[in-house]
Amino acid sequence: MADEPKASRGNLQGIAMLVAIWAIVTLSVVFGLRHGLPELASDRGYLDTLYYVILGITGVAYIAFQIALGYVIWRYRGDRPGASSSHWHESHRLELTWTLGTAVILVPIVLTGLSQWNRVRAAAPDDAITVIAVGAQFQWDFQYPGADGEFGRFDPALYAIDNQIGLDESDAAATDDWVLTNQLVLPVGRPARILMRSKDVQHAFFLPNFRVKQDLVPGMTTEVWFTPTKTGSYEIACAELCGLGHYRMRAFLEVMDEADYANWLVENAPATE
Amino acid sequence: MDHHHEQSFVSKYIFSFDHKMIGKQYFTLAMTMGFIGGILAVLIRLQLGFPSRPWPFLENLFPTGMASGIMTPEFYVSLFTMHGTIMVFFLLSLLPVSGFGNFLIPLQIGARDMAFPFLNMLSFWTVVPGAIIVIISFFVEGGAAASGWTAYPPLSGIRSAIPGSGAGQTLWLVGMMFFVASFTMGGLNFVVTILNLRTKGLRLMRMPLTTWAQFVVGILGLLSFPALAAGALLLMFDRSLGTSFFLPAGIFIGDTLMPHEGGSPLLWQHLFWFLGHPEVYIIMLPAMGFTSDILATFCRRPIFGYRSMVYAIMAIGTLSFLVWGHHMFVSGMSPFLGSLFVVTTLAIAIPSAVKAFNWLFTIVKARIQFTSASLFALGVVSLFVTGGLTGIFLGTNAVDIQLHDTYFVVGHFHFIMAGAGLFGAFAAVYYWYPKMFGRMLSERLGKIHFWITFVAYYAVFFPMHYLGHSGMMRRIYDPNVYEYLAPLQPVNLFITIAAFVLFIGQLFFLWNYFVSMRRGAPAEANPWKSAGFEWSTPPKPGHGNWEGEIPEAHRWPYEYAAPGRKRDYTPQWEA
Ligand code: HEM
Ligand SMILES: [Cu+2]
Ligand SMILES: [Cu+2]
Repeated sequence: MADEPKASRGNLQGIAMLVAIWAIVTLSVVFGLRHGLPELASDRGYLDTLYYVILGITGVAYIAFQIALGYVIWRYRGDRPGASSSHWHESHRLELTWTLGTAVILVPIVLTGLSQWNRVRAAAPDDAITVIAVGAQFQWDFQYPGADGEFGRFDPALYAIDNQIGLDESDAAATDDWVLTNQLVLPVGRPARILMRSKDVQHAFFLPNFRVKQDLVPGMTTEVWFTPTKTGSYEIACAELCGLGHYRMRAFLEVMDEADYANWLVENAPATE
Repeated sequence: MDHHHEQSFVSKYIFSFDHKMIGKQYFTLAMTMGFIGGILAVLIRLQLGFPSRPWPFLENLFPTGMASGIMTPEFYVSLFTMHGTIMVFFLLSLLPVSGFGNFLIPLQIGARDMAFPFLNMLSFWTVVPGAIIVIISFFVEGGAAASGWTAYPPLSGIRSAIPGSGAGQTLWLVGMMFFVASFTMGGLNFVVTILNLRTKGLRLMRMPLTTWAQFVVGILGLLSFPALAAGALLLMFDRSLGTSFFLPAGIFIGDTLMPHEGGSPLLWQHLFWFLGHPEVYIIMLPAMGFTSDILATFCRRPIFGYRSMVYAIMAIGTLSFLVWGHHMFVSGMSPFLGSLFVVTTLAIAIPSAVKAFNWLFTIVKARIQFTSASLFALGVVSLFVTGGLTGIFLGTNAVDIQLHDTYFVVGHFHFIMAGAGLFGAFAAVYYWYPKMFGRMLSERLGKIHFWITFVAYYAVFFPMHYLGHSGMMRRIYDPNVYEYLAPLQPVNLFITIAAFVLFIGQLFFLWNYFVSMRRGAPAEANPWKSAGFEWSTPPKPGHGNWEGEIPEAHRWPYEYAAPGRKRDYTPQWEA
């Protein structure tokens, strides 16, 4: 055309865009295949399934769209022989297709997501073991209820070096309670219910292998439950910025089989008279 | 009317009322802040690529934060807090919205200036002290704010919670108040100008998508920023006057039981994200507008689906107020509320997909001219789709449990918000620079800039998704503390190297921008042969924009390749 802006030369740019976008897609998939979720050790495998389903759907959409984008950029480059552009700029059929198409794909994701969410957030089963997790800058304390199965009261006024969780010793339920620092021990195969509170700022109780994450909020008790399905030692992380030591607010979760757990209780829990 | 009276230096360059000068003032401020934000990003990556390695020369710059050359954890926290704050507010809100909004709205709608020129000047001079305060906060006792750009209390509410929670946090809050004041003045101006000052014939449905985006952004800003202002004020009260809006009883920090009683930390999160989520669309929408205008011009083709583009902007704007809870799925908020937010959040994917497909079909049957501007606009399309798709994971609350607060999120928002926003801003600068300075940018440097940026951007941010699904938390100073994260160190090193390259690539842009002001080839009035109204002005429009009468708008701004016309474009202002 007669009045062509100077900048239009550059067949090279069109090819380069195609190559770059296709290469990015290829590399992102190749390297993506080398990384996965941390090894699963809880009953929350259904969350992984949903994760991989979404990964499949969005992965296909990602590859298809980017490949198409790279292709049309090259295909419709300005200096191809006989280039001309079209005035066509509306198609109700096409627009309706991708609007409804997107909606149709999203509906099952939303519905499955919500039902999984309800499952995760449902009340803990009655046979669950309950432990209280207390988060503080920058340590985790785990309070076990002892033989009576009841937790002693706590009172923030009692926080002290030798009473990290502010346990009120005058409460009868408190006498057999005991506390582990930066270590949580649970039996395999039994639902575990963790009640959480924070002493200072927000923290998040994150068990990467168990697909568990829940914030600890000062002034509130939050709760989560799950069932460990594999024995072993796993890391517990803090996932909510809580201060300069946030990166090292680490603890361990030891999952034992029933017999080991019973032995461990006998050896470690303070004897009750 | 006399629009060309003599002006003193001060009234022309400093306390200017002219929307174009004010726009350029915003550019200068935003680019300065963005440069600082970029340096902070490089420092963050330095630590993650080479954890706790000493860099003795850095001690001279940061005597406490990098004592003996090793970064302290508290300095790291301040770095990402200020990086996020500066990038979100002072770069990607100021440049595309305040900068381009002021510069372009009057030119695109055929007005001589914004509706309230004085308010406009005031708005700029209100944000300047905000920026200065934010920068100064690095040098106060305890260092800059250190509670993330989200400033969750109690960390941000109690001075002894982290060193940056002292004077640094106070200055952060004060800086934010200035920012909010400035931004709401700007938003008001946008809305009033667009509603009232359009030239004859410029019906709403003939407005360019950039102006449509700025219109919705103005409304979003007006409605959402006051929530942050209110929150910031209440937080200041909690910090200084002993109130307890956000601080409950029983907080024990530094061996001291705090006297607060009855506040709710979740209340802050609600207030913050009521602003925070619309804010990411305040960043995104203008970039979408730029992309549409620029793609149409360089595809030599009308934008595809104009009407649905307008409706999509409105839908996104509306929905953006109803999704803030997706940041709070595991915060302790009611799980039922969480489910509602899933529905609204995933609903946003629909208008977003509409935009992406419309762009794709604008390219189909095009005759693409590859300029720096069009390349960056094509980059927006790619980044936007990548970032949009990862949003589906995070919007599904059940899956977000694992991914929340990991690098998956950092990857996600650097694509959809930071990446698309940044690429949109670059595209816009390359495209409208001739109108701003009457000169052309160097295309050669522009292309070098694009290629480094595009490739390095993917190299930096795509692998972050791998880190995230492998379980690496965000905001951590040294992932190697965790056994399961230590094997990821090579990925972190790779990202850091790519980030250095990305940073260096930006120097081509800065060089180009400043040198071309003097040495660039002189621009014609309409160098890209665009049909948009702003190109009807002289090469470097003076005060008042048009020398004679303001032309009339005869059609929409995307009239390219119309059959039966001699030229392949028919400008909006030609009968
Ligand atoms: C030079 C390119 C950039 C690099 C290398 C970079 C790198 C990073 C990294 C590594 C983090 C995570 C820090 C952590 O969690 O420990 C981060 C956080 C963040 N970045 Fe960027 N970034 C860049 C550009 C941008 C831009 C343009 C924006 C604009 C919106 C942005 C907004 C943010 C925000 C909001 C955060 C979150 C801060 C927080 O957690 O409080 N970044 N960036
Ligand atoms: Cu933490
Ligand atoms: Cu959001």
